[in-house]
Amino acid sequence: MRPLTDAEMKVVLDKLANYMSDLKSLIAPLDDGDRYVFRLNHSRVYYVRLSIANLATSISRDALLSLGTCLGKVTKTGKFRLHITALPIIAPGARHKIWVKENGAQPFLYGSNVVKAHVGRWSEDCPEHQGCVVYSMSDIPLGFGVTARSTTEARRLDPTGIVCFRQSDCGEYLRDEDTLFAGN
Amino acid sequence: MAPTRTIKNKHAAGKSGVAGSKAAKRPSSDGVSKPKGGKPGSSAKATPSQVKGRPNLPGLNKKKKRPVYTAKELGIPELNMVTPVGVTKPKGKKKGKVFVDDRESMTTILAMVQADKDGQIESKMMRARQMEEIREARRVEADKKDAERKARLEDTKDSLRKKRKRSAGGGKPGGDDDGEKDVRAFSAAGTKAAKPKSGGGKKRVSFAPAE
Repeated sequence: MRPLTDAEMKVVLDKLANYMSDLKSLIAPLDDGDRYVFRLNHSRVYYVRLSIANLATSISRDALLSLGTCLGKVTKTGKFRLHITALPIIAPGARHKIWVKENGAQPFLYGSNVVKAHVGRWSEDCPEHQGCVVYSMSDIPLGFGVTARSTTEARRLDPTGIVCFRQSDCGEYLRDEDTLFAGN
Repeated sequence: MAPTRTIKNKHAAGKSGVAGSKAAKRPSSDGVSKPKGGKPGSSAKATPSQVKGRPNLPGLNKKKKRPVYTAKELGIPELNMVTPVGVTKPKGKKKGKVFVDDRESMTTILAMVQADKDGQIESKMMRARQMEEIREARRVEADKKDAERKARLEDTKDSLRKKRKRSAGGGKPGGDDDGEKDVRAFSAAGTKAAKPKSGGGKKRVSFAPAE
């Protein structure tokens, strides 16, 4: 386990900034004087309290399976891929949102893209190919994706037209259970 | 005779080349002198011993001190080297990664990334808005053209209908005042109208213009 390098940090924050409007809240100091930090272990990036990260130094790299919240993994080409486990962190500060109706929640959770017919409402002024968080109509975050069309263009779209390309959904907790949290 | 001589000379040059003497580098045309061509082996053997015996010859010293240029000095592109550019690490720098763990540096990177992303999104939205405006303008123009075309079509339709009415009205005997204007039409209609009188009222009206 080690802190992130300059380049890695940039890549991670850049990806998070696609979905979140306010990144400063991520590293803001907590009430008890503690703060959150990013740690890398087995090419996975964890978002963890500093006190817990310090405790985790007593565990060897190989023995340490996971700590804090896994945000995603750094690929071998140096890019960063967000996992569904990052949803609780990005959902509160989401930049753009899409709410899907009851009939659209299940298809999304099974891994399909969001079509226009399933959209209950969406945030205004959303450009094309921009990260967005997908919510159910009862404001429960279901996953995140990338918009296929801007809001104005999406209005003119057919009901079967894709509005949002799925990146990750809560169904992955079941589908990718064995590889989601830790990898060796 | 001439070809055999040249062959011998070539052999001599080859042997001397193995020994690495001066004669090796001399072109064959230069060393055509008879005594040298006749005894090639002796001259080749003699040269190395001379080098050992006399190391301070001015010509040999020059060869040894030939300057060795690096790729940078010659200005050769670095990609031609065996090792890729990225692999060679700069000398004098500290080994290992530089971690970002203190809050200040993290905040700096964060602010930089945030500003960069905001700018990107803003420009994207601006572009999208502009494109939308252009599309809207085009749509309005197309609508206007469509409406104009429709209006023109309606006009022609109306004019045709009026014409037909006029002509149809003229066909009825004594039914219209306009029929007096076109005498020929009136007369034609009148002659045709005489026939259907015996057949029936409806047929008379519909078949008159067709004939």
